[in-house]
Amino acid sequence: MRMKLVAASVGVCVLLGASHAWAHHAFAAEFDVNKPLTLKGSLVKWDMVNPHSWFHVNVKGPDGKVVEWLVEGGSPNQLIRMGVTKTTVPIGTELTIEGYQSKDGTNKAVGRNFVLADGKRLFLGGSAGSVSDPSKIK
Amino acid sequence: MRHQTLVSAVVVSVVIAIAMAATSSVAGQSAPLEKPRAVAKAVAPTKAYAPPKTPDGQPDLQGFWTNSTYVPLERPNNVTKEFYTKEEAEAAMKRAAERESEQTEPGTTADVHYDFTQFGLDRSQSTFATSFRTSQVYDPPDGKVPPMTAEGQKRVQERNAARKTAGGQYDDVKNMPIGSRCIIMGGAGPPLQNAGYNANYQIVQGAGYVMILTEMIHDARIIPIDNRPAPPSGVRQWTGISRGHYEGNTLVVETTNFNGKNPFRNGSENMKVIERFTRVADDAIEYKFTIDDPSTWTRAWSAELPLVKTGGPIFEFACHESNFGIANILAGAREDEKKAAGQKKGSSN
Repeated sequence: MRMKLVAASVGVCVLLGASHAWAHHAFAAEFDVNKPLTLKGSLVKWDMVNPHSWFHVNVKGPDGKVVEWLVEGGSPNQLIRMGVTKTTVPIGTELTIEGYQSKDGTNKAVGRNFVLADGKRLFLGGSAGSVSDPSKIK
Repeated sequence: MRHQTLVSAVVVSVVIAIAMAATSSVAGQSAPLEKPRAVAKAVAPTKAYAPPKTPDGQPDLQGFWTNSTYVPLERPNNVTKEFYTKEEAEAAMKRAAERESEQTEPGTTADVHYDFTQFGLDRSQSTFATSFRTSQVYDPPDGKVPPMTAEGQKRVQERNAARKTAGGQYDDVKNMPIGSRCIIMGGAGPPLQNAGYNANYQIVQGAGYVMILTEMIHDARIIPIDNRPAPPSGVRQWTGISRGHYEGNTLVVETTNFNGKNPFRNGSENMKVIERFTRVADDAIEYKFTIDDPSTWTRAWSAELPLVKTGGPIFEFACHESNFGIANILAGAREDEKKAAGQKKGSSN
């Protein structure tokens, strides 16, 4: 999977990922295409709720102040079926999240890409093993 | 595939469905299709599949099933035949899976989304059904939904006009799509349609009833099979009201009494849906449906959608409770309005 990280501050945010349009609502209505961003921080909580999960991430700003951001991700149902649990991504995991900020300017974003500290994409599906196998459910 | 028998040409096309688990991170990889057996078109069944029976004698349809598939409802314009060859089917599936995992252009509306592949939501990461069919629609023979009647077209225009009268889509929560509002989504049907992800169903049979649970978004259709008549026309529901009976080993379900708020492909509330469920293998149900709605389409039309076994359980999809997107979208729309008002004010100064 191609992926490049470029600072949003320079206005060139190269975000690559799936383009599938299946979704239960239009994300472009919730988040601002003109506000691409890159967040670096540590996971403090993952709400595995439908229709969309929310990652709570502590992000340290330029002034050293830590601010909590909420980042929207995918439906947990499929992940649970694949064996993913709340602990699959441990609290404290360092993440770089590329996405778009909410239109209302609050600290919310959609997570276009979730990247781990070693540069690998957080790939919940493929890392979880076989699907449709109840024994995989932890 | 555990089943070894040939039933009919049509059945064969469904029976080849493979319940597979593609765990690769690369979309488009999947188990190869079983060698085509569509050549058996004229072959009479030598040993018909005998489905297991429930304690009360119904053909056993129980379990967890998915209709996730890359087979489109309508036949692509450049395809003129009903069935692909094995090679063509594999190529079509590969193309579809690749399209599904394609990269989006940064800074475009399409890019404003979480990555589906990261969350295991592209179809090739889950169990999905393969088929040699080029389209789900098999009648009319051209694989297309028939043209709309003048009445149907007029209804579409009226619905569109009513939407405009109600204001912008984000002016009011009631103007937003019913799927976004977690009321109901397309997979619930009837007819059952591929929901894209979480396209899973559970069928439970009890004495006198069949229940179909749809994962997206937790809709249960309870179908009496005791030949009771349909209720009066004034009684209407989102998924209509279903009545079932068996014809041999096939469960036939007729649904009427739709409330018209969730029209299937702009059909009318008087649409009748006839579904046929036939267990054709341990891991496959042949699912066919016919749409009979003379006020919408120039003729009745029929389609076949693979339904293959998948793992359970089905987890609750408590969509409404955590639907924070609604509030965020409405807040975003108000923000857009403020900006637009500011720009207008600025330009008038």
